[in-house]
Order: sequence, then structure tokens, then C-alpha cells
Amino acid sequence: MTEPRLSSPAKVGIIANPVSARDIRRIIANASNLQTSERVNIVLRVLTTLSAGGIDHVLMMPDKAGISAMLLRSLQRERNLHHRFPKVEFVDMDVTSTVDDTFTAARAMQQAGVKVIVVLGGDGTHRAVVRELMEGVRKGLPPVAIAGLSTGTNNAFPDMREPTIAALAVGLYASGRLSAEQALSPNKVLEVGVDGVARDIAIVDAVIGSDRFIGARALWKTDSLSAAYLTFADPQVIGLSAIGGLLHPVGRNEPGGLAIHLGHDAASTRLRLSVPIAPGMISDIPIADWTVMPAGVPFPVSLSAGVVALDGEREFTFDVGQKVSVTLRENAFPTVDVARCLQTAAREGLFRLSSPSP
Amino acid sequence: MARKISMKQAVNEALDQAMAADPSVICMGEDIVGGAGANGEKDAWGGVLGVTKGLYAKHGDRLLDTPLSESAYIGAAVGAAACGMRPVAELMFIDFMGVCFDQIFNQAAKFKYMFGGKAETPVVIRAMVGAGFRAAGQHSQMLTPLFTHIPGLKVVCPSNPYDTKGLLIQSIRDNDPVIFCEHKNLYAIEGEVPEASYAIPFGEASVVRDGKHCSIVTYGLMVHRSLEAAAALAKEGVEVEIVDLRTLSPLDIDTVLDSVTKTGRLVCVDEASPRCNIATDISAQVAMHAFGALKAQIEMVTPPHTPVPFSPTLEDMYIPSAGQIADAVRRTLKGGKH
Amino acid sequence: MAGTNPFPLSREDLLKAYRTMRTIREFEERLHVDFSRGDIPGFVHLYAGEEASATGIMAHLGDGDRIASTHRGHGHCIAKGVDVFGMMKEIYGKKGGSCQGKGGSMHIADLSKGMMGANGILGAGAPLACGAGLAAKYRKKGEVAITFVGDGASNQGTFLESLNLAGVWNLPVIFVVENNGYAESTSRDYATAVDSFVDRAAGFGMPGITVDGTDLFAVYEAAGEIIRRAREGGGPSLLECKMVRFHGHFEGDAQTYRAPGELDDIRANSDCLKKLSAQVTSAGVISAAELAAIDAEVMALIESAVEQAKAAPLPTLADLTTDVYVSY
Repeated sequence: MTEPRLSSPAKVGIIANPVSARDIRRIIANASNLQTSERVNIVLRVLTTLSAGGIDHVLMMPDKAGISAMLLRSLQRERNLHHRFPKVEFVDMDVTSTVDDTFTAARAMQQAGVKVIVVLGGDGTHRAVVRELMEGVRKGLPPVAIAGLSTGTNNAFPDMREPTIAALAVGLYASGRLSAEQALSPNKVLEVGVDGVARDIAIVDAVIGSDRFIGARALWKTDSLSAAYLTFADPQVIGLSAIGGLLHPVGRNEPGGLAIHLGHDAASTRLRLSVPIAPGMISDIPIADWTVMPAGVPFPVSLSAGVVALDGEREFTFDVGQKVSVTLRENAFPTVDVARCLQTAAREGLFRLSSPSP
Repeated sequence: MARKISMKQAVNEALDQAMAADPSVICMGEDIVGGAGANGEKDAWGGVLGVTKGLYAKHGDRLLDTPLSESAYIGAAVGAAACGMRPVAELMFIDFMGVCFDQIFNQAAKFKYMFGGKAETPVVIRAMVGAGFRAAGQHSQMLTPLFTHIPGLKVVCPSNPYDTKGLLIQSIRDNDPVIFCEHKNLYAIEGEVPEASYAIPFGEASVVRDGKHCSIVTYGLMVHRSLEAAAALAKEGVEVEIVDLRTLSPLDIDTVLDSVTKTGRLVCVDEASPRCNIATDISAQVAMHAFGALKAQIEMVTPPHTPVPFSPTLEDMYIPSAGQIADAVRRTLKGGKH
Repeated sequence: MAGTNPFPLSREDLLKAYRTMRTIREFEERLHVDFSRGDIPGFVHLYAGEEASATGIMAHLGDGDRIASTHRGHGHCIAKGVDVFGMMKEIYGKKGGSCQGKGGSMHIADLSKGMMGANGILGAGAPLACGAGLAAKYRKKGEVAITFVGDGASNQGTFLESLNLAGVWNLPVIFVVENNGYAESTSRDYATAVDSFVDRAAGFGMPGITVDGTDLFAVYEAAGEIIRRAREGGGPSLLECKMVRFHGHFEGDAQTYRAPGELDDIRANSDCLKKLSAQVTSAGVISAAELAAIDAEVMALIESAVEQAKAAPLPTLADLTTDVYVSY
């Protein structure tokens, strides 16, 4: 196995969540089950593409759920076949097999100075990475861009795209051939506060429900839902944000978000909406009212006690007396705009090799 | 006069009548119907040797073809029995018991005892036994001693169509786990079998030939070899008594002891491998309980301590012959050594 | 004091669930103590720490539903309704035990409660549960069968064959992998080629999900959906409960394969009973006093079970040879 003798510091990090797409939506809907071997295949395709793009050192989150182990075996096999890979370095950290691993890895990658983190996961995984990176920026660390690959259930946030293409864009930006202005896009977040103190964020939706337990985390029983706050409302995605997407679309790059109050009885229901809230699952949602959320304005949650679900998963409960509010923030974190990167690269001939022979 | 049918037909008839009489009886096994999931005929095989052919047309989804997963489906048969059904599972060749033996000897055999008497496991496992088909080492064994050894199991090995039908019906009615052995080389033999349903109790050996000079105790295919030996010996004025054990567990040792007490001589003929087989078991029990009646050493006729060979000449030498049985009888008469 | 109940179980069922979990916990902890004193013969494998899995799943089952358990079966027995006094006598090898002293800890069964036995052979329960599922299919009453295996036993051929058979015959069987991270002393990280039991389910064409096995509500919700699906003819599925066991593989195992401090950390942060108590009291649905009252009743029950077990008669020579066969 030959390694580059002196590799430059890692410019790219990879966080591959081994446990996304493993929850109850496999049962109540026919949600996909992305096997560990498939996740590793995706990582391998990303690595070879990065290598071709001039990236020689990648920092990776370790795990004990099979991705790291299978990746190492595969890398050895591929090197025996003389395929080119960057040096893959695992973050030196204890693996807890919880979401804390994502936080730890993102923090370490930011501190190591990576320019971009490739994330394999669903909305929840991306949310965890974003939260950690934003926290880092508040503490004075440089911002890190995210390139999302969907290996989750709903995948409202990351684009559905062949990972090779995303890796080409990541390579162009991380190697400096495209600037931040050319390569990145700004993204909105929702900031969820309890009693005036910022508690957590959501990158797609913050949904309030009347259940008071986290339980199996996913949300699919729509009769317990009270309100939904969205950073964007895309009619082409599934999940609770589809409530907004099919009611009043708001683009990712448009200002503002959407706040929706759900009806809880005939009197409060203004209309009913047919919504794909999970893969293959279309539900009937009663809508009371909705309004655009301008950035910076706290929207108080009217439910007195319940559970807050962030990006599709129940995250924390709140009791009577606790005041929850949701505020939209714009330009909160950058992502790699893969489409724009590749179009720019094509126009500027960045993939043309040396001139054709005379 | 009862009509004559083959042993294979006797098995088929017993299963048919048992299923007709009791809706909790189901059958499962590899290819017992045949053609599952394929585009041709359903009931394409009716068992690898056609033993269960025709049952699917009468009993439909009470016959289940299984994937190639003995430990799963034998275990499933045991589990279904513990839940009140009466499954008849086919282990195609008894040689396959290796992959599912735990379900038989650690699970089925022990539930009644280990659960303090409250469990009942009325499962029947039918399996083909025996050599002579040129099927070689892994498809030709008897293995009957391994099952007989296990407390909690019953082991049945009929030698003729009449016993086959009656003992199989009894096995299905029995409330304990039963290993029902069908000798593949006896499927074709014919015999008189009543059309009506009937059951033969366990633990009752059958004296298939009376004689006063020597007792041959045996079972399965070897009953027929012993009968051939008896015919040859009769020409020499030697009359042998042949005791067909029919069920190895429970064992009718009393009939054996009565016979040896009468004749004073014992030859055990067993197609199972010689170490720790049924012949050694019978010999030890007779030596303990009828020693005084013996006029000569006990003789055992068994194959050699080898796997079953493939080559037909070798396999024919492997299986005890009528000649070897007759020689053993003669040795008891002469008191001679090997 | 009582707030509106936001949980998926009624107040009465919450109290029942708590009582079940507390009974399992105190039963096992008492055995741990008594075993170390030399009072208990043979081997015991304790379920302490894993209570939420058995309780959350069994809450959805009736006597007609069957379960096949593992060597670590006391929790499954108690949650399925097997009599605690009979169990304790059985563990002490006494007449009047669940199995008349003939089976012991690893073989406790009560078929009248649908408990097809704890099993000393790992993975053996999976084919048995397929059989129970087959019987349930023929009975047509919407009953289900559940087999529990550990992360270790999920590598047994019987388990894998059963996944296939259940899929082929569309059996109402649920495969529950109780993943506590250790097969005896071997970590799951070592012994499992691809560290996902859920992936195995996909390989056999059935859905598989993972839940936090230390959270009663997570188990309860997931089990509820899975069991409902099986009852309605949706076929088999796999539920992985990630959990922790407090004690060794068997009593007497010093657990030197664990990292220093690992056990203390587990007791402090992954105790399903502590989590449940905190959730129901902070929601104002059940008071700490009610829970304490249940705790006291359970301690008295266990104490009484041990006394009765110690006082129960030993089996006799005549008992040695009974119940080998129904008839012989």
C-alpha cells in the first residue's frame, strides 16, 4: 500500500452515518433500507472521484456499525488492484455509536481546517453536522461547507444525486479551482428556543406535537401534530415539510420560511391537504392557517406542552410553563451548490485535459 | 383377501388417511409436493422417490414444500407440534440429520421432561434409511442407534408394507416425537395391506418366523435377508426364529428374551455400523437377563466399521448378506469362534 | 397532580409496565446476590438492564401469542406472565417449580402462557418460533410468534435459515435481536461481519428496524407497529433492540472484557427503569409515591418467592424417571 509521503492537511471530511434509514418507517411505510455495503460503495466512489480531483487526504468519522471496518477492507483490496485513493485518516475519537459521534467528528474536522464535509445521511444527520459547525463558527472557527448525499429516509435536505457528481463539485471547491462565491450557496435554519434561550436548530422543519415522549423518534401519526415551521417548502420532497411544499412553496434560495398551524377539530380546520409524509405514505392533513416567516422574527409555539421534532425526529419534550419559539435565520451555513459548480466548470473548461495532440 | 400394495404406497396411504382423519396433521419437507414456484406441474415429484405423490391434490396447503433448511423446518415442525399441531416432517435422507440434530435431540426429545411434564411434542420425522442404492457414504446410512440412544425419542423401523401403514398411523397419533425410518430399498416390496385405517402399537415385536434352534433378532431390510438365510438353513434341518423388532424405542425386549429362552441361541443382525448399534444393545440385554438360557456365544452380523462405499461390488460386500447371517447361525450351533 | 397522559400507554398500563420491569429487575438482582452466596445450583444468566425490551414487546401480546426465548430468559418469562413463585422454585431445583425442577433456569417454560421455553441452545428458538407462526397461520386468529436472540446467536445458522423460512412462508414471526454488544465475552464488533442485524433482514426480504432498547416507549411503539403488521398478514420482520446487560454472561463472569468504568457508566446512564420513572413522574402522570409503593410490593413478592423456593420440597427418586414420554 503506497501512501503519499507528505500529504497536505485534509481539505475534505466525510461523515457517513451508519444508522440513518434504520427506523420504524421501514415498517409503517415501505421506506428503503440502505445496507451498510451500499453506504461503503458510495464512500468508495466519492474517494476515487476526489482523488481524481486532486484531493490526497480525507478525514473520516469512525464508527462501530460496520462502515469503517468494511471501508478499510475495501481500500486494501482496491489498492491491491492499484486504484488511486486519497489517504483516509480517521478522526481520533471514542466511538459512542450515538449522534455524539457526528458532533465530535464535525468539530474535529472543523478544527483540522477542512473546507468541506461530505455527509452521507438523512435530514437528521445533516442537521447534527450543521449544528456543530455553526457552533464552531460562533467560537471563532472558520465556516465549513457541506455537501450532502442522501442515505436517509425522507432526504428533504440533501439532494438526490449520484455521489460521483457531488464529489466532482467538492473536489473543485476543496482544491481551490472554484472560489467560495462560485461554489457555495447560503442556507436558512430555524432556531428553536425555550424560555428565550436558543436550544437547537432545524435545517428543514421544526414540528410541534402533543406527544410527550421521544419513543421511536420518527413522526408519522399526524393527528398529534400541532404546528410546522419550515426553512423552505419544496413540493418535490417528502416528509412533514411537504405540508408546506404542497400548500405554499418557498424556495431554498428565497427569503423567508413558512409557519403552518394544523387544525385539531372541524372548527379550526380551514382546509385539508393530501401530503406524502413518508415514502409511499400519503396522509390527510388538516390545515388551520399558514404564514410566511420573515427572518429574525420569533414565532411563539402555542401548544403548552409537547414534543419538538426537528427534521423528522422527535428531539425533546417541553412542559407546561416552558415557552418554545421558532425563529428563521437566513445565510446561516453554506452548502456546495453541485449544479452550479459543474455548470461553471463545464463553461470554463475546468475538466479539459492538456491540449489535443497536433 | 386384502389387496397387495408396496411399502411406498403404504406410506402414502397412511399419510392420506391420517390427514383425512385429523385436520391438525400437516406434512412438510423438501419436494414432498415438488414444482413449488416453478412454471411446470404442481406435485411434479411428490417426494424425491414419489412417496407423497397425489397427496397435494387431496389435501392442498396441508402439504408444504420447504426451502433447503433442515434446521429451520425441522425446528418449525417441532415448534408447531408444541403449539398443538401434528406435523409430519420429512428428512429426506436420515444422513441429513447432522444439520438439524439439535432440533430433534435437544429440543423435541426434551421438552416433556425439561418442562416438567406440561409440554407435548407430537411430531413425526420420516426419513429414508439404508444402503443398496449406490447412493454412497452420505446417503446410505441407518443411524438408527443414534436416535434410539436419546431419551424422549421413539424410533420406528418397519420391514413390510403392513407394518409400515399401521406403524405410521400410530406414529402420527402418538403424542411423543417419533423418528419413522423408511428403508429406501424396501419401498418396492409388496404385501397385503387392509384398505381401512389401522394402528399397530409401539413396543410390540413381531415373530415373523417360528423356529427352535436359534433366534435371529433384527429389523428393517435385514428381516428379509434373515428370511433368505432361514430358507437356506431349513434345507440343513436348522429352523431359525426371526424376531422383527419393528420399534427400536420403545423396545419389546420381552419377546426377544422369550425367544432366546426357547432357542438358547442369539444372532443379532443390524445394518447399522457395528460400534454401539442395536445389535450390541440387544446382546447386552440378553446377556444380562437370559444368560442362563444361552447355549452358545451371541453372534452379531453387521457391516464393517467403514462408511458405506460407492462402488456396487463394494456396497454389496458392505451390506450383511443372507450367507453371512446363515454362517453366524451355524457358528452358534457349532459353538465356533470367528 | 395527575396530568393528562401523553404516553402511548394508559395510566393503568404504565403502572403495569413499571411493575413488570421492576419485578424482573429485583428478581434478577436477588438471584445475583443469592448466587454469589452459593444458594443456587448450576448456571444463571441475568436479564437485569434489559427489562424495557421484554416489557415493551410483551405488552402487545396475549396468551395465544407465543415466544421462544434464550438462555437469558427470566425477563421474557416474567413479562409473558409466567408465575414468579414457580420460576424461583425452578431455579432452586424444587418440586413445584415451573418445570418441577427438571429444567432449571435455562429451560423455564409455560406453554399455557405461550412461553415456549428459555433455551440452552443459542438460536434454537428461531425455528421453533417459525413453527408457532405456522400454527398461528393455520389457526387464523391473528396470533403471532416472537423469537428472541442475542447479538451472538444471530450468527447461528438456525437464525439465518429461519429468517429465510419465515419470508418464504410469510409467517407472522418477529425476530427480536437483543443486542447488548457481547456474545459471552466476545464483542459484537468482532463476531459480526457486517455490524447490522437490520441489513440481514433486508437480505431476507423483510423490513428491519433498530430502536433504543433502554427506552420503554421506543420499544413499545416499534413493537406495536411490527406486531400489528404481522397480525394483519404483513409477514415477518426484525427488531433490533440496542441495550445493555448489567451482569456477566453467566453469574460468576467477572466481566474483565469490559473497559474500566463501563459498568458504572451503564448503571448511571442507561438504566431503563430510571428513565421510565423520570419520564412518567415529570409528566405528572404517576407519582413517585406510587412507584415507591410498587417497588415495596415487588421486593416483598421476591422475598416471598425466595422463602417459598427454599422451603419447597426437593424432587424424589420417583420424579427422576417421570415425564420422559407421554406414554411408553
